Amino acid sequence: MLKEEREFLAVFNFSYLNIQPSCKDKGKEQWDKNQDSETEMGNKQTIFTPEQLDAYQDCTFFTRKEILRLFYRYRDLAPQLVPLSYINKPDVKLPYELIGSMAELKDNPFRQRIAEVFSEDGEGNMTLDDFLDMFSVLSEMAPRDLKAYYAFKIYDFNNDDYICKSDLEKTVNKLTRNELTPEEVSLVCDKVIDEADQDNDGKLSVEDFQHMIVRAPDFLSTFHIRI
Amino acid sequence: MFYHDNEAFENPDYHYSETLEIDRSRERNSSFHQNLHDSSLDDDSLYDSYEGRSGRGQRNQDYPLAIPMASMQPGFQYSYSTSRSAMQHNTNPYGNPHTNPSFEYEPELAYTSPSFHAADGPYVRRSSDMSDGGSFSQRYNRRQADLVYRMPSSLLRLDSNAETYNEDKHKQEEKLIKNLASMSSRERIKAIQKTPKTMKEKRDIRNKVLMEKTKKSASYHTQINCCTQCLYKTALSYQQFKNGLSECWHLLQFWQKTLKVIGGKFGTSVLSYFVFLKWLLTFNIFSFLVNFSFITIPQLIVSGPNNLSFNGLELLSGAGYFKKTVLYYGFYTNSTITKTENNSSYNMRLAYIFTIGIYFIICFFSLVYSMAKSFRKNFINPHTYSGSAAKLLCIWDFNITNEKAVKLKQSNLSTQIKESLSEVTLEVLNLSLKQRIARIAVHLVVWVASLGIAAACCAGVYFLSRNNLQFLEGKKSELENEAATLVLPIVVSLLNLLVPFCFALFGLLEKFQYPRHQLYVTVIRNIFLKISIIGILCYYWLNDVATLEKECWESLVGQDIYRLIVIDFIFCLFGSFFGEFVRRIIGTKCCKKLGVPEFDIARNVLDLIYTQTLAWIGIFFAPLMPAVQIISFFIIFYVKKVSLMRNCQPPRKVWRASQMTTLFIFLLFFPSFTGVLAVMAVTIWRRMPSNQCGPFQGLTSIIDAVSGWIHILDSYSGSKWVVWIYRNLIGSVHFFFILTVIVLMITYLYWQIIEGRKIMVRLLHEQIINEGKDKMFLLNKLSALQTSKLGPPKGEQQERSSSLYQPSRQAALQMTASLERPFGRNGRDFYAESFSAGIPEKTGLSPADSEGHRPAISETLALALRARQQAEWEMQDDDDKDFRP
Repeated sequence: MLKEEREFLAVFNFSYLNIQPSCKDKGKEQWDKNQDSETEMGNKQTIFTPEQLDAYQDCTFFTRKEILRLFYRYRDLAPQLVPLSYINKPDVKLPYELIGSMAELKDNPFRQRIAEVFSEDGEGNMTLDDFLDMFSVLSEMAPRDLKAYYAFKIYDFNNDDYICKSDLEKTVNKLTRNELTPEEVSLVCDKVIDEADQDNDGKLSVEDFQHMIVRAPDFLSTFHIRI
Repeated sequence: MFYHDNEAFENPDYHYSETLEIDRSRERNSSFHQNLHDSSLDDDSLYDSYEGRSGRGQRNQDYPLAIPMASMQPGFQYSYSTSRSAMQHNTNPYGNPHTNPSFEYEPELAYTSPSFHAADGPYVRRSSDMSDGGSFSQRYNRRQADLVYRMPSSLLRLDSNAETYNEDKHKQEEKLIKNLASMSSRERIKAIQKTPKTMKEKRDIRNKVLMEKTKKSASYHTQINCCTQCLYKTALSYQQFKNGLSECWHLLQFWQKTLKVIGGKFGTSVLSYFVFLKWLLTFNIFSFLVNFSFITIPQLIVSGPNNLSFNGLELLSGAGYFKKTVLYYGFYTNSTITKTENNSSYNMRLAYIFTIGIYFIICFFSLVYSMAKSFRKNFINPHTYSGSAAKLLCIWDFNITNEKAVKLKQSNLSTQIKESLSEVTLEVLNLSLKQRIARIAVHLVVWVASLGIAAACCAGVYFLSRNNLQFLEGKKSELENEAATLVLPIVVSLLNLLVPFCFALFGLLEKFQYPRHQLYVTVIRNIFLKISIIGILCYYWLNDVATLEKECWESLVGQDIYRLIVIDFIFCLFGSFFGEFVRRIIGTKCCKKLGVPEFDIARNVLDLIYTQTLAWIGIFFAPLMPAVQIISFFIIFYVKKVSLMRNCQPPRKVWRASQMTTLFIFLLFFPSFTGVLAVMAVTIWRRMPSNQCGPFQGLTSIIDAVSGWIHILDSYSGSKWVVWIYRNLIGSVHFFFILTVIVLMITYLYWQIIEGRKIMVRLLHEQIINEGKDKMFLLNKLSALQTSKLGPPKGEQQERSSSLYQPSRQAALQMTASLERPFGRNGRDFYAESFSAGIPEKTGLSPADSEGHRPAISETLALALRARQQAEWEMQDDDDKDFRP
């Protein structure tokens, strides 16, 4: 998708949201209705083919039901953009502004990074695949390695495959809402690098990060978004 | 002859003599020459050596010696080994001295670094699945392709690298697919799920693997027969069944939404309390189902009508009407229940003892399992746990979705960081001897005081209960009796409520250095108090009530436990009303300084453990106790939730949820569950069941029911094996003796293995540090080489190479000098310096220029250098962008 197009879509979405703030409720209705129809007819073909569902099941940590639920969550963000059938593999991308407005993400200081890391274009605009991928990694079932890998990428603000001091400074500022003085921030970052840097190159590589994660057992439960 | 000298990196200083002993032992002299070649080659060999490192040694064999030969120069003499004996200790553990893995072709290949699995420990990695390694080695950036093409195209060499890289990637993918295809479907799915790639790539891989599979199975199809087809169908339907089951299981996970809301508002720490509560609730639901279906339903079939009156107070006291219901032990019959005439009967005695026994065995294993799992997850490496790094990068709770909670968390975090910064100076402060003694004395006094309080509580409870028993002996009115029975549970609950506050006050006196220690100490004191109260009550039940010769002592004990649970439940409700609601009113209206109360996770969890212990003891004396427990937990869940939402704020201190949960599960197992088992054992083996009631009336001890049954079985020839098992395994001391010895041996063996691994971990850690130093050294040398290389003029290749030798030699000397500086932080500074010197000259390194130098200067070095510089520039650019206002 071209950039202009995407921008246009983003604008379009927002205008839509402004005019009709109740679209979420509508989406919910739609969801309920779909749930009903699903139980009635017992088929899921309206949205995905069984093969597609199988593929999603094999590639994420979700069950069919959860995949469908996530699909509706995704669709609720922009009901007019996302078709009700994915059989023809439509090329739909939701702009970051919509993804970031999800209840699960909207107050997260790292929401933009999360969206960027998981989106294929790196700018936070997500396809359904990216969306499922994101919540799969953030689900309870994902193993530590996978979580650590993506957490690393989230904290690696400049995408240079290392968490360097500037990345850490940004992290600290996000974590504390800029309440620390620059000296304090720099002190903290030095301490962190000092502690976690195993090979003394002055920045944290994935390995350093992994090593640290092992010793922080809470990470598994905190790097987790309930859906 | 200048060839050896040209190889600047062959400097004997390249490796430190402190390279690990274990490394040297793995020296591979046979491959020595080849390795030398590899290192001087283009980056094909880089991949090659990388492959070798990543545990896929066969790659090395894929590339025969022909590749090194290709770049062999005339006059190249294999004389290194003789002329440079210092090289002997150069070999690093991977047998490839010059290709530091962290050094290759950055930044893209940084992700392929094979030690991604470092988290799992190196041994795991070695034994881990091949395809796993394959998949992880492909952990590239999602935008890795961009990165490759972002390289300036003028760097021809790198372009061709990109090609080889793509080729290599392709090969890797093929390999991966092959590996995946050879796995079982479950493993394959797991492996695919674990791959950190976009959905599209994952799906591609999946489809390719499936294609591969069908191709393979197509070749088998010729000889397919009915049996395999049948098997396949069974497997398929099993798969479907499992899918359905897992969906059902997800439906069963109730309160998902409530938990999400709580997590969103209060974070993982408070959530852990509710998860624990839910876990206990499932325990109770399970035991209720078991007891109800195997004990209660058969009893209900035969039981007669209950003609006692019901007046409401029974709900509190558990006596009266309930005496003649299935709630208590005394109501169950000792007869066999026979509905049909044809011999099929249901022995109530056996049903009772086996149901409860099996329930306890299941409980035991599930507790051990969850405890072990929790320990494995959360205490992998507790010794090296260090605060701030992990604190900072792992602290953000992605669960939190509430705006207020996010703000609160952020401000809490900033105060915490400030505190920890001030602690840096505080920690250095050394206490004088006097102060230390004073501190130890305070600890001692407080410990003695708290133990004394606990002992006093126990003594009080014991005498109170004995007096109460004598009081009940006297002939009093029914109502008076029932009121008197309530005294004991109320006193116990009051003690449980008030004494912990006392302990909390002690904590203020003690002034622990770390809040963590205070928490642990308070938890230990509280659990000691609660368990000793339960212990003294058990002593009273088994020693005084059981020998009373009263009509039905088991039911009396059951009633006591019922009352304790109910009263404790009521106190819990009061606790959240007064402790949280009234406290909030005071905190917000009268005394603003107090503020909104925090949710005390430790106290609440300990309360849960206490009631659960009581319920476990009660299961034998009142088989439907789990039902009471279910109701009370259900109500507690909602009351606590509402109280939390209305009155509390998230805890300010860091609560290490997973470690604390582990501790609580352990506490639930060790004093609590094992204590219950001990009480059960005494009841079943040592106490005489009451004569007039219950399934075991008329026996001298409860276990006699089983031995009597075995005796009967003995006469049937078909069930000899049961008798044999009972006599030789369950009833035999020798068997348990041998079992214990074997278990102890295995434990000892594992302990030794763990010790060995600890040493291994330490050595490997040292090795990582050494590798880091190696990397630093190489980088320094490279940058020095870089600066000095700009000097020589362009000329004939040969000339250049000879002239290039000089600067590289200089660089080597420089490096030797730099080595004398201590590494570590200084080394890092040095690294930064040399790079800041090198970066401004980035335009000086024209690709054509370096292209010309290739035969002379090591290509590996040049390449790595360029890649490194590239990374530096990009980083700088990014940084500039980031910090631009």
